[in-house]
Formats: sequence, C-alpha cells, structure tokens
Amino acid sequence: MTEYKYAIGDRVTVRDGTTLFHTRTQAFTRGKSGVVVEYRPEWVIPEDEAWGRDDAERGGRYEPFYVVRFLQRDLWPNYTGFDIDTLETEVSEHWLEPAKEE
Amino acid sequence: MSHDHDHGAHDPIQAPEGVSEFEILERAVRELAIEKGLFSEEDHRRFSEWAESIGPSGGSKLVAKAWTDPEFKARLLADGTEACKEVGIDWLDPTGVGTPSDYTYFYVLENTPEVHNVIVCTLCSCYPRPVLGMSPDWYRTPNYRRRLVRWPREVLAEFGLHFGPDVEVRVHDSNQKSRFMVMPMRPEGTEGWTEEQLEAIVTRDTMIGVALPQADWTASGPPSAAKANS
Amino acid sequence: MSPPPGFDDLSGRVADLAPVFREPLDSPYEISNELYAALRHVLHDVGGQIDLPLPFKEKAEEDWEMNTYVTCECLGWRGAWNSEERRRAENDLGATLYFGLPYYARWATVAAKVLINKGLITPDELTAKIDEVRARMETKA
Repeated sequence: MTEYKYAIGDRVTVRDGTTLFHTRTQAFTRGKSGVVVEYRPEWVIPEDEAWGRDDAERGGRYEPFYVVRFLQRDLWPNYTGFDIDTLETEVSEHWLEPAKEE
Repeated sequence: MSHDHDHGAHDPIQAPEGVSEFEILERAVRELAIEKGLFSEEDHRRFSEWAESIGPSGGSKLVAKAWTDPEFKARLLADGTEACKEVGIDWLDPTGVGTPSDYTYFYVLENTPEVHNVIVCTLCSCYPRPVLGMSPDWYRTPNYRRRLVRWPREVLAEFGLHFGPDVEVRVHDSNQKSRFMVMPMRPEGTEGWTEEQLEAIVTRDTMIGVALPQADWTASGPPSAAKANS
Repeated sequence: MSPPPGFDDLSGRVADLAPVFREPLDSPYEISNELYAALRHVLHDVGGQIDLPLPFKEKAEEDWEMNTYVTCECLGWRGAWNSEERRRAENDLGATLYFGLPYYARWATVAAKVLINKGLITPDELTAKIDEVRARMETKA
C-alpha cells in the first residue's frame, strides 16, 4: 500500500537541488509552487533507472509520484497567456517539499 | 528543392538519396546484437509488425466510443490503460510487459468548454504510441519542446487554434512514465453520427491537443494543408 | 496573408550576418560559476528556453528509422538496457552530437555506445561490422 506524504490539494514546492548528469525534474519547475492534483503509482526514480537500477532487485528505489499543477503565471516571468492557464507535470516525492506560506 | 508552398507549416521533409551512414550503423548494431544473442531476428520482426500496426486510429476509436457511450467514457477517464482493451489495444503488447519506451500508464485528458489540454514531452518526446502510433516529426523537435510549455497560446495559434481568456489552456509535460492523449470535445453538427463517422474526424493532432475536430473535415492531411486547399 | 516567397530565407540570411562575439572554449584554465552552471545543465531539459517560431514539419519514418526504433526497443525488451538509460546516453553525447544529429541517428548512436559501455560488444567488432555492412550495401546499390 503506497504511502503518500502529500495529499491531493496540498501546495508543494519543487526543490532546487543540485543536479548533475541526469534529471527528469525540469529546471523551469525548480523553486516553483503548485498544487498536487493526482497521485501516480510508486515508480523507480529516474536517478536509478538511468543507471540500470530499474527494479528492486537491481537496487532501484521506488517513490510515490505526484501530478503537480502550476499556474503558468507563477512559472514564467511576463507569461504572455492568460491568468487562468496552467501546466501539469509529474514529480517524485523527494523532489517536493511543502510550499512555504506565501 | 521542389517546395514552393507558402504555407510552410507541415511541409513534408524529403529524405536524401542513397544509403546513409545511419542506415549502415543501425544494421551493424542489429546484426551484432542478434549474433550476440541480445535479441532475436524473430523479436525484431514481431516488434516491427506491432510498430507498423499502431496508428492514430486507435485513439480515434477511443474518442468516438467515448462520445457515444457515456459509461465507456467514464471507464476511459478512470483507467485509460484498462479501457483501451475494449477497442483491442493492449498496452502490454507486443512484449507482454509493455514497450520499453511507452510503459503502461495511460491517461486520457478530457477537453471541456473550460479546459483545453495539450501535450508535450520537454525532456525527450514521450508519446502514447500504442494509441496514436509514431509521433510527428515536429513533436520531437527541441523547438516544440522548448516553446509549448512557456508560450502555449502562441504555439497553438501557429496550429490555427485560438482560445479566449475564459478557457484554461492546460499544458501537460509528460516527463515521467505516464502517457497522455487528449479527448477533444465532440463538435456540433455530428448528431446521430455512427462511431465510424466520428472516428474519421478525430485526427492525430486533435488527440495531441493542437487541433480541434471539425464536422466538415476528415483525417486526410494536416490542418494547414487542408485550409490551404480549401 | 503569407510572406512573399523567399522572405523567410532572406530574413534568415540577414540574421546569419549579425555580428557574433565568439568565446572559444579549448580546455580553458578557469571558467566562471555561471558558465559552469550552463555547462552542467542537463541537455534534454529544454522546456522554456527561448526559441523562434519555426515551421512544424511532417516526416514519415524512413525504413532505417523504423528499424532503429525497433532495434532499440528490442534491446530494451530483452534486457540489454532500459529506455531511461537510452535517454541519459543521448544527453551524455554532449551538445554538439545531441543537437547535431537527427533524432533517430541519436538513437542508433547511443545503442552502439551503450552496448560497448556494457561490454556486450567491443568497439572493433562494431567498426568491423559497420565496414562489412557498408561494403555489402554499396555493392547492392
């Protein structure tokens, strides 16, 4: 039974951890805050999968993944669309932290 | 160069003549891999057959069925991977455990009057091959990958789509194992149509989110080509 | 509605003539932290980078491209690698090859490279096979 640290509706911030060699946590999300809108299953994290550790036997670490929805105007300076626009992407748990009070 | 079209978008790219070094490289890798037992010739043939069998008609069937059968639509939105089996698409094909690049986590994104969904994979070009076939060339370009997430309305305008301030344009950057397809809204003027008739207007681009289905236009070519010809 | 024929070509050439200040990097003695950050940036992470509108083109897969795709997937199917290893290998090619090679040429290149990295084939086996295949295909052509 997957345990999710974050609940649907929680505001979360994507950590801006140092990245070397490989990542699937996009630079444009780093330090940005959004809302958890869906759960995904536990998957092997890309930091393991990319080096061949793609299952438990091979040392791949599983983590819950989340769909996080951002307001585009929060992601981009001078966003040229409308305030209502959003972007959703998927983030593994260790890349998230609770959003700081704004 | 024979191209003198002035609707530059969607022009087909011409392949160069002669044997390319890439063709030689691929064949060398394949032959060595088979010699070393990394996979078999039969594996390659079976996977090729599957790759040739997939195409946008899979997705069109899902959408047309969802438009005509509300209970199927609910199942499709609740569990996309499972619902695909009802139109003969098994995300575990052809290996029995799914494809290495597409995985088995398929989600359908429903367009509504309030929300227009559009899909990109900024990091590579993840695409729901089992339901849509091979991705368009433009979908894989760094250009599309760079621009859709940040200037979605501009990119959609280049495809001929414009939405007002009351429509949420929702970009999905498919950066992990999920694979997405857009369920466009059923257009007016299609009342009483059969599923087959409806499938014909649900084109690949409508399921990526860069086109809208039109009752008076079927899947015979990219939207701008169709407009240029009309 | 459309620009006159040749407008985009002319404009492109005009843009190519703009002055450029080139800072060649030939194993410099030191570099700034900003340049280091840029050099470290994982190549495939292009979302939101500034780019110009370009025509979106259609292109059907050529036979070698379909074969490349199938070969790569078969290697994954039977356990030689997984697709995330393929994607990382594409990044590891470096910017010149990542952006210089066509999409499927990248796939074919990293398939070869990763098989060598994993010791499943040797580089001389690969190059010998390439020479053999080339000779075979050129006599046929």
